[in-house]
Amino acid sequence: MSFNPNSNSERSLRFWGTLAFRLTAGYALAGLLLVFFATASLYLVLLTELEKSTDLFLADKLHVLRTMLRERPNDLDALREEVELESAARRYEQFYIRLLDEQDTPLLTTPGMAEQLDLPLLAAQTRSRPDRALAMKGRHGQSFRVTSAAAPVGSPPSQTDTIQIAIDISQEQELLARFRFWFWAMLLGSFVIFPLVGYQIALHGIRPVEQMTTTARHISSTNLHERILPDGYPVELASLADTFNQMLDRLEESFGRISRFSADIAHDLRTPVNNIRGEAEVALARARSADEYRDVVESCLEEAVRLSDLIGDLLFLARAESPLTHLRRERVDVAELLGGVTEYYEASAADGGVSLTTRFDSEQVIAELDRTLVQRAVGNLVSNALAHTPPGGAVVLGTNADSSTIRIEVSDTGIGIPSEALPRVFDRFFRVDTSRSQGSGGTGLGLSIVQSIAQLHGGNVEISSQPGQGTRVTLHMPVSGAG
Amino acid sequence: MKILVIEDELKTAKFLKKGLVEAGFVVDVAEDGLEGLHMGLELEFDLIILDVMLPSMDGWQVVTSLRQSGRRALVLFLTARDAVHERVRGFELGADDYLVKPFAFSELLARVRSLLRRGPARPQENIRMADLEIDLLRQRATRAGQRLELTTKEFLLLTFLARRAGEVVSRTLIAEAVWDMNFDSDTNVVDVQVRRLRSKVDEPFPVKLIHTVRGSGYVLQSEQ
Repeated sequence: MSFNPNSNSERSLRFWGTLAFRLTAGYALAGLLLVFFATASLYLVLLTELEKSTDLFLADKLHVLRTMLRERPNDLDALREEVELESAARRYEQFYIRLLDEQDTPLLTTPGMAEQLDLPLLAAQTRSRPDRALAMKGRHGQSFRVTSAAAPVGSPPSQTDTIQIAIDISQEQELLARFRFWFWAMLLGSFVIFPLVGYQIALHGIRPVEQMTTTARHISSTNLHERILPDGYPVELASLADTFNQMLDRLEESFGRISRFSADIAHDLRTPVNNIRGEAEVALARARSADEYRDVVESCLEEAVRLSDLIGDLLFLARAESPLTHLRRERVDVAELLGGVTEYYEASAADGGVSLTTRFDSEQVIAELDRTLVQRAVGNLVSNALAHTPPGGAVVLGTNADSSTIRIEVSDTGIGIPSEALPRVFDRFFRVDTSRSQGSGGTGLGLSIVQSIAQLHGGNVEISSQPGQGTRVTLHMPVSGAG
Repeated sequence: MKILVIEDELKTAKFLKKGLVEAGFVVDVAEDGLEGLHMGLELEFDLIILDVMLPSMDGWQVVTSLRQSGRRALVLFLTARDAVHERVRGFELGADDYLVKPFAFSELLARVRSLLRRGPARPQENIRMADLEIDLLRQRATRAGQRLELTTKEFLLLTFLARRAGEVVSRTLIAEAVWDMNFDSDTNVVDVQVRRLRSKVDEPFPVKLIHTVRGSGYVLQSEQ
């Protein structure tokens, strides 16, 4: 399956999915919209302003002519100058005026008006809407704005003439056309430039992420000590790098713990297996009496039991770590539970010349706990305490509680634990005194198990010790399982 | 009593058969799930000891098929996987008991016996073993007519051993039954307790009743 016909579409899909693409698209779209709206609104403003100024000009002209007709109806020279000469003198924005009497006979006309405009059409269009500026095409295709108005002649008025004005706005139209051209050109330019610039910006922004990815990619279990240098990254990414480095710290720490654990477990498994193997081999090397064989088989059985215990403890720890583990919580009278454990260890304590007592601050401590597990935790602690307390010493079990937490405390007057070893006592297979590891019979998992049990209950273990004075271990656990 | 052992690990099957035969049972062995199912369907067994992980057909399937065919034989599961949900699943499918490898043979034997006992044993008033007499009603024990001064727990321990006279009882079982300690604790705690009991029950008398079985536990019997 080396050939994949979908690889092209997959690659393009991958491109659409990239952060760079998304950023670029975002930048480009935002830029284009901005340019479009800015230019479009400018165009609209220009359009309305030009129209308004033309209309004002027309209204102004009308007003002048009306005033002249009303005030000085007989001053034809002035009128002629206004209608025929002033317009002809203009080079741009030429305007044309026609003055008609009541019978629609032209009295005065700006020269050339008839060549530029279809006058009957002008009359027809403006008559229905007097005093309003309208758009109209000239004979040669130029744009005009035209208007007409009634003008009373003399005061009081003897008759009413009609004024028609047309102004050539071709120049304005050209201006607008140029504007539109540039508008589209700018849009097109933006359409090309924005994505390119946006892509560059996006690439630049993403580059630190890619560097980080590269660094992260080549970190494996063999070079877990490598870190991402947080210098030179923007603040957000520096904090990501920091988080990532912290994760690496934790990983490195657990890897270290696991490899220590593996070494320890190999040692602790190897010893009994080696004993079984060696004893059996030696026993079979030559014929022996039934008693000798029995002795060997019994010894092998003892080693096998040791192995089973170790495996049992390891399984317990593994299971305790599984998120699927559920406690069988029930209402437990903690004082009663401690009493039971004390009873169980009483004979051993007496044997070792150690006094084992309980001390309760409050009358009754009731909590929802997994009875078997707590029994096991306390049992482990008492067993440890007894093992490390010389004759004449004392081991005391106590418990107290407030509304939310119960505490179970096992303290002894034993040999204590050196302060440098304290932080590691909950590690699996950790033994304070390595030389007595095998002799003491423990698996080195006792305190790990105590800790798991406390954690399963949502609590924790606390240990304090004074070498030569004694050790105190306290289990803190919530009173109820809820919360 | 007939027992079928379905177990693909030959050594395990071999020692199970040997131990069970020596304990007085008639034992057949099947080496994989399918063969075990056939034997379970063809023949009548009182108890089937079944490994969960088997070639050709796993233990769950075997017990499901057996129950579907209406076979009521008791089923005891053996497994190396000790997860609560597996245990629950086993019971849901109709298993009667469950034992995690590695296990003590004495414990397997105890479970087999208690499964096959069917119903509670008749409450006894007195237990007699050689010159040892235990009066359960009055909570009193005597040897050769001589009253033994025992604490409550020592009396319980002696009764527990006497009830299973001739059976090897593991330290774990003792801790569980007498002190209600349901975990594998230091084995020497039980050893100390038994030593104390011995000093009262056996030391003053010529015939020893409590015997240590190295690597397994203790047994109460009148001769070695």
